[in-house]
Parts: sequence; structure tokens; C-alpha cells
Amino acid sequence: MRNVRKIALLEAPLSFRLSRRGLVLGASATATLAACNAGGGQDNFVNVYTARHYDADRALYAGFQEATGVEVRALTGSAEQLLERLRAEGDQTEADVFVSADAGNLWRVKDAGLFQNVTTATLQENVPEHLRDAEGAYWGFTKRARIIVYRKDAVRPEEVASMDSLGLPRFRGQIVMRSSSNTYQLSTLAARIERLGAENARAWAAAVRANFARDPQGSDSDQIKAVAAGEAQASVCNHYYYFRMMRSEDPADREVIEKVGFVFPDQAGAGTHVNISGGGVTANAKRRDRAVQFLEYLVSDEAQTMLAPLNTEFPIRSEIAPAPDLAAAGPFKEENIPLDALGRHQAEAARIFEEVGWS
Amino acid sequence: MTLAATPARTRAPRLDGVTVAAALATLVCATPAIAVIALALISDGGAEFGGALIREGAMGTFGLVLAGGTGAIVFGATTAWLVTLCRFPGRGIFEWLLVVPLAAPSYILAYAYASMTWAGGAAVPVQGFGGAAFIYAIGLYPYVYLAARAAFASQSVCALEAARMLGASPLRVFWQVALPLARPGIAAGGALACMEIAADYGAAQHFGLSTLSTAVFRAWYAHGSPGLALQISAVLLVAAMVFLLVERGARGRAAYSGGSARWRPLPRYQLNAVAGALAAVFCGALIVFGALLPLMWLARLALLHANVQDIVQPFVNSLALSASGAAITLGLAAAIAVAARRATTPLGKSPLFAAGMGYAAPGAVIALGALSLFGLAREAGLVGGLGAALSLAALFWTYAARFASAGVGPIDAGLARLSTGLDASARTLGAGPWRRFAEIDLPIAAPSLAAAALILFVEILKELPATLILRPFNFDTLAVKAYSYASDERLLEAAAPSLLIFLAGIAPIIILARSIGRGRAGVTS
Repeated sequence: MRNVRKIALLEAPLSFRLSRRGLVLGASATATLAACNAGGGQDNFVNVYTARHYDADRALYAGFQEATGVEVRALTGSAEQLLERLRAEGDQTEADVFVSADAGNLWRVKDAGLFQNVTTATLQENVPEHLRDAEGAYWGFTKRARIIVYRKDAVRPEEVASMDSLGLPRFRGQIVMRSSSNTYQLSTLAARIERLGAENARAWAAAVRANFARDPQGSDSDQIKAVAAGEAQASVCNHYYYFRMMRSEDPADREVIEKVGFVFPDQAGAGTHVNISGGGVTANAKRRDRAVQFLEYLVSDEAQTMLAPLNTEFPIRSEIAPAPDLAAAGPFKEENIPLDALGRHQAEAARIFEEVGWS
Repeated sequence: MTLAATPARTRAPRLDGVTVAAALATLVCATPAIAVIALALISDGGAEFGGALIREGAMGTFGLVLAGGTGAIVFGATTAWLVTLCRFPGRGIFEWLLVVPLAAPSYILAYAYASMTWAGGAAVPVQGFGGAAFIYAIGLYPYVYLAARAAFASQSVCALEAARMLGASPLRVFWQVALPLARPGIAAGGALACMEIAADYGAAQHFGLSTLSTAVFRAWYAHGSPGLALQISAVLLVAAMVFLLVERGARGRAAYSGGSARWRPLPRYQLNAVAGALAAVFCGALIVFGALLPLMWLARLALLHANVQDIVQPFVNSLALSASGAAITLGLAAAIAVAARRATTPLGKSPLFAAGMGYAAPGAVIALGALSLFGLAREAGLVGGLGAALSLAALFWTYAARFASAGVGPIDAGLARLSTGLDASARTLGAGPWRRFAEIDLPIAAPSLAAAALILFVEILKELPATLILRPFNFDTLAVKAYSYASDERLLEAAAPSLLIFLAGIAPIIILARSIGRGRAGVTS
């Protein structure tokens, strides 16, 4: 009996008809591993977790390597998931820098104790105070504005001069918005909570909610398209989606922009809500010096001027000229609140959205 | 024809090599899902909104599973019957073209349709609940089609001919003989489709729907509470287990035994001109909406922005990752399926459910479970950091946990065709478990194994969230590339990698479709 079993064991691979395919698969598994290890040969690198996916960032990495000889190894992903990976890895993490759009995301990393405070003269000189963490946990390197877009043939720009106007009865059934699961939306409301208090923020969210033309869905660009298509008269989005559609290779996108105008809201009041893309050094960074060097590079003359024409964000430094079409939109008054307010009021903002039924 | 219930109750379960291998495989596949449930129980997620999120999400998921699942089952079963048992114009081409929509992930179909119908002036806008149900039905029916076709193809000619000789019309044969005989296959395919729907996040999110999956991410992203996300996922997992139990229970009462040993090609009904044209239009419409239209749209966008050099390495990575992941998962799935098929006790069959759990949870959640386990192991000093090797291992583990069920299903259905007497005869003649596995189970299940391998390959090719969170540095796949661009709302740039995922999946899927026809004994071509 035992012999039969032994023989069967020997025979098993032979009678397995898929064995040749199995071999190929096994070989490619080895190849995959080899491919991954290949990059790790030299050790002059810095590891970056980044929730930014712009092609422009790859130009930055190349620029950094050219300037310093240090290779940037990136792992892209959503900010929330990268945070959980960083949390699980704890003191064993390979990540030296964590980069994300939106201060709310960066605040969560700080709140989890996964950033270390860094302060250098270069960073302090180049990053305006309201665009960085007060303790130096994270530093902005680009800036985005939250703008109102409107359909030109239905709305006059002065009718949407402020965020408050979107809650007026004038726009009943005429507003589309992105889901409140999105950080940009949370940060916008968090800023309002900081300036005007939770009650005011709740009233505003409820008023805008009452004006919805449809349940929140789609991306920022989808809101612009919905306005252009006549599903609604106005919406809110980050400025760079508007400008990117304006420059798009797809003629359909450019047609959209022809039908839609935008305003920097609240110029007569507190100023337009701005947010950052930024980064910080992880608490357990193994290559701390290079990580700091990388953050400094992001706000250097070279990087800031390189980024300006490559994407449609504003440079973090006001003395660096943005892309020509952005410059043409003119300077605007920025909301000025402590950056960490976007994080501190985030949970409350989510609660308010939930309560008023803004899903 | 033997449609009698003849459960194989011939021996008490005994510990042997196959059982041990299956137990280990089950452990590997079920651990992340079990971790999610365990972590959900101990985390205090801040359940302030948990109840409302779960209530609303459960209703949304139930509705979508019902509408999308019914659509997928109707489309899949009908087309499988048409191409297997009827003759009509284009049948031979439709036979394999019908599987092509399987290559498109739901999230890519959703993006493609949303932008297409928007640009087309929204004649029939694909949006909201109806839009999502449409995407699921049109994108997932091939699961049912494949399983049902394999089931139809292996049916006894005698049963069908007997019915025909007794004067039954084609429709009546379909309803009363072919369909009941194919029920295990249809149920297995339908269950896969339903669990895909429950786990889908991309399409539901895109159409602004509230489901359990979107609630998971709402808890995680908006409320910043991974704990609450795990709790909602646990609800989804438990619901999936109940669903699987019900599905198994419903078809478990009758055991189907092999029918006649006299195999020959199936006779096909010649449909008349009108019926034939209708059949062709029906099959053609599914292919046009499920593949051709979105493919052409993606191709148009990709041509507007051709970023070929950016996606060569991701393409190679995708193929390598999918092939290796499929091989590993296939091995585990085969062990589980074989052991469960031999088992006669509920405990022995439990690996089927355990392996199935992961399939109904969003990939990101299973990855979160794996990450949390890794975190615990690291704190206990068992492992170091997530270097390239360890993160790949974690990734393969997550693939196995997530997709084992997609492999187990076809293999189990293949083994179901095994006459219950064969195993018993072999045992009487003194063959051990490994020998029976190698010389009986494997050859008989070989076509199903090939089918499972190809399905797993395509599933992993399409997989996004686990790959995104667990991959090593500087290692992008096509799905990661497509996601990166899409999340940055660059649909033009996202088109090329999306198109490539679609195209890379088509080849294995067509091989898969063609191989099933050969799975019928006595058919040599």
C-alpha cells in the first residue's frame, strides 16, 4: 500500500497534463521576483510613498536624481491605503517620504504619529506659513484653489461670487456636487468650520444639499461636464481640472470648457479656499537626510519652475510664475487659516455631510 | 439516464495527504477574510454612523445583486444553450466571442460607458442604478455562460434525444431537461457573478450608488476609520457565506451522476430563419455592448493620447504577476476542490465556503486584512519590513484569498462530472489518495483546471486594490497605471493601459472558450 502511494507521488507530475504550462508560470514567477530585486542593487536611493500620480512628478524625480545622484523609488497608491501600509509596517517601513494631495490626508499621517517634525531654513524660507504644518510635520510644494464653475448661458459670474450663493433658492435643483467621501470636499467644509463654526457649516451644507440636481457622483471633471451638459448650472471643483480640460487633446473636453466659466469664490470675503500637495519625512525613515533633501528639492527654484509648465497647479512660492493660462486668470485672495484646521475638523465635516444627507 | 439522488456515502473521512494539503490551502485562502472578521470584532471603529451605512449599503447591494445577477444569469444561460444545443447563423463564432466581455473589469466598463454616453449626447444615458446593473449584467454574464456551456456540453445525448423522441419541442427540452441538468453549472457561474457584484467598488462608486462596498470606503476614506471599514466588510463577508451556503444547499440535495457512457457529439437543433436571426442578434448585441463598443471607445481615446513607452514595463509586470499568481492560486484551489469533493461530512465540505469568503469582499479589504496580519507578525518579531520579496508574497497570498473561489468553482463543477463509482472502484482496487488524485481526478478535471487557470489569470490581470497597496517600489502594473491616471481624472491617458488590460485578457479567454468544447469526451477536434 505504501509503495503504491510512493509510486503515485512520483507519477503525479507526469500525469499532470498542464505541467508544461505550470513550468512556464513558475519561471515567470521567478522572473517577477528578479525584476523587483534588480532595482535595489545600488543603495543611493530614497523611498517615497505618494498619492500623487502626475507624470510631472516623474520629471521631478529625474531632476532630483540629476541634482543629487539619489534615485527616487516611488510607490503610488491612494493616500488612505498608503497610510494603512505605513501603519502596518511600523518601525520596519522602507518608506522615507510620504507625499499626498490635500492637507487633510497629510494630517491623518501626522495624527497617526507616522511623520517626524523637520525644520530647515530652506523649507521655512520657501513655504508660506499658511501652507505648511506649524510643527514641521508636512510641507506644501504645490497649491490648488477650490473654484466655482457655472454654465455661461444660464448664470452670470456675480451670481456665484461666493460659496454661500450655491445654497440660495435661486439654484434649486441646479447644483451638482462630488461625493463627500472625497477629501477635497471634506477639507472645504473643514475650512468653513474653522472660520464660521460647525452650525454655519451645517446650515450651508444643508442649503446646498437642498439644491442638488442629482445624488453626488463622479469626479471633479464629471461635475464640470454635468454643468456643461445642462444637468445643472453650477458646481465646485479644483481649479486644475478646469485648466487641464481647457488644454486637453480631446476636442470634446475643450468644447465643455467653452460652455463653462469659473470664479475664484469669496474674493469680497474671506478669500478662496486653497489646499496643498505636500510631503513629510516618515517617523521611521531609514534615510532621513535624503528625505529632507528631497523635500527641500521640491520647493527649490529648479523644481518649482519645472513644475509650473508641466501641470496646472500653482507653485507653492508666490514669486514663481505659474503657467501662462493660470497667470492670465490673475492673482486672487486666498483664505488664510491654519493648515491643520483641515485635519482637525475633518471628522466633524464628515459627520455634518452624513447628517444633511450629502453622501 | 440517471437523475436519481445517489449521494456517495461510502466511507468515514480519513486523514490523508490530500486532506492535509487541502486543509493547509484552505487556511491560506481563508486567513485574510477571517482576520477581517476577527479585527472587526475587536476594533471599536466608532460605529456612530455604522448602522445607517450598513442598512443603506445592504439595500443597495441586495438590489444590484438581484438586478445585475439576474441579468447575468439570463444572458449567460440563454446564450450557452443557444450555442451548445442549437444551430443558427454565426454560432461557431459566437461560441467563443461571447466570453470576450470577461476581459473588461467593471470599473473600466463603467468609465468607458459613462464618458461614451456623455459625449454621445446621452441618448440612453448609462447612469445610476440601471447603469450599474447594465454594466454588471453585460460584463459578468460570461461567468454564467462558461459554466453553463460546460454543463450543457457534457450532458448525456440520450437524455436529450429521449426527450426529443417523446415529442418535446426545443424550448420544452431546454426548460425540462437541459436546464435542470445544467443547474449546478449555472448556479456556480451565477454565484461568481453575484459575488463579483457585491465586491465591486469602482462601478458602484462611479455611478454614485450606496452599497456595502462603497460604505466600506466611505467609512475608511471620509470618516478616516479603517476599523469601521473592517466591520462593514465583515457584514459583507458573513452575507457572502450565507449566500454560498444557500446556493450549495439548493443544489446539494440532488447529485447528478454521469449518464450514459456512450459519448458522441451533441445533436443541435436547426433554428428556423426567424428564430436563428433573433438568436444571432441577441448574441451579437451582447458582444457589441459588452466588448466591441467600449473597446472602440477606449481605442479612440488611446489614439488621442498614445503613451506607448509608458506602459511596456507595466504590461510585462502584469503578465508575470498574473501568471505566477494564477499558478499559485490554482494549486490551492485544486487541493480544496478535490478534498471537498471527496468529503462526505459538512466539516469536510467547509473549505468550499472558507475559500469562497474572500471573493465577496472588496480586494482592498482583503488586502487590509493581510496588512493587519502582517502588522501583528511584525510586532511579534516574526517578520521584518515589506521588502520586495515579502510584499510579493503578501500580494500572492491576497490573490489566493480573494480568487481561490473563482478557481474552485470551475474545478468543482468539472469534478462533479466524475461518476461517483469511479473513486470507489479505484479505492477498492487499492489506489491511494494521491494516485486517485493524479490518475482519476486530475485527468477528468483537466479541462476545468485549464479553465480555472485562465479565469484566475484574467482576474489577477484586472485586479487593482490589492496590487496597489501591496506591490513593491517601482513596480507598476497595467491596472495600477490605469488607476493612477483615472484617479487623477486623466481618462485619455488611462485609456491605453485600460485597453491593454482588455486586450491582454482576450487571448486567454478565447483559449478558454475554445478549450471547453474539447472537454467533451468523444469529441476529438
